[in-house]
Amino acid sequence: MSLPSRPRQGHFTEAALGITLLVLVIQLYLFETVLQSVLDGHRTLLAGAFIASLALTVVALVLAFKAPCLDDDPGA
Amino acid sequence: MTWWRRAFPLELAEEGHFSRREFARFLAVVSAGFTAGIGYLWLRKKPLEGGSDPEPGHHETPVALGLASDLQPGQSRLFKFRDEHDACILIRTPKGELRAYRQTCTHLGCAVRFRGERLECPCHEGFFEVDRGFPVQGPPSRPLGGITLETRPDGTLWAVGELPKPTDLPERVATACPREARTEVTS
Repeated sequence: MSLPSRPRQGHFTEAALGITLLVLVIQLYLFETVLQSVLDGHRTLLAGAFIASLALTVVALVLAFKAPCLDDDPGA
Repeated sequence: MTWWRRAFPLELAEEGHFSRREFARFLAVVSAGFTAGIGYLWLRKKPLEGGSDPEPGHHETPVALGLASDLQPGQSRLFKFRDEHDACILIRTPKGELRAYRQTCTHLGCAVRFRGERLECPCHEGFFEVDRGFPVQGPPSRPLGGITLETRPDGTLWAVGELPKPTDLPERVATACPREARTEVTS
């Protein structure tokens, strides 16, 4: 079974995909925690949670759009 | 061949139409959505439904609830507090004390009702004790929002504000609300 070769931009390593998925899982947990806290009337952690979530989003965006070095077939 | 290809030897003609990078871009957009959601919660001034976070300096408009003596132990009365959507319940506990809570269950927002010695959410059988609104049984994990009451010299009862959320949420112990007591309430 051989997959057709893709253009270089289309390749994406399993490690990069795994990191992106991990970022999503962390953000999901963070969002659920923040929502629970807000419902409990605690808003003090919102600023920190927003900054942390923003940093994780930047990681996901960089991986998705600006990470050619993580492509698994640089010669293609 | 990667391990997952061997585990799931399926070949679809369309599988080449969606690359890992496109999937990662989709995930990145979802990630940005989570960040936007947290940012919205941060910037939102009005508390979420069921939340207790009055703005600093905010003054509530008192709501008349009738004569305090009209309510007998074990009885309840519904009223609206901040607006027509802010349903609350006034109860006189079996001990004779007056308490008022938001009627919105802290689990999924159903309306609680006064049954016997507890407040009951009929949707998922959640129960709250009447003294401070703590959840004692069922899915709810947060206490009900409390309303501050004031009895004026002419005997009238007024809802004047919102109680701060209690922070010392006790562990649910069987002695606080024994499971066998549930049959007494529902029967």
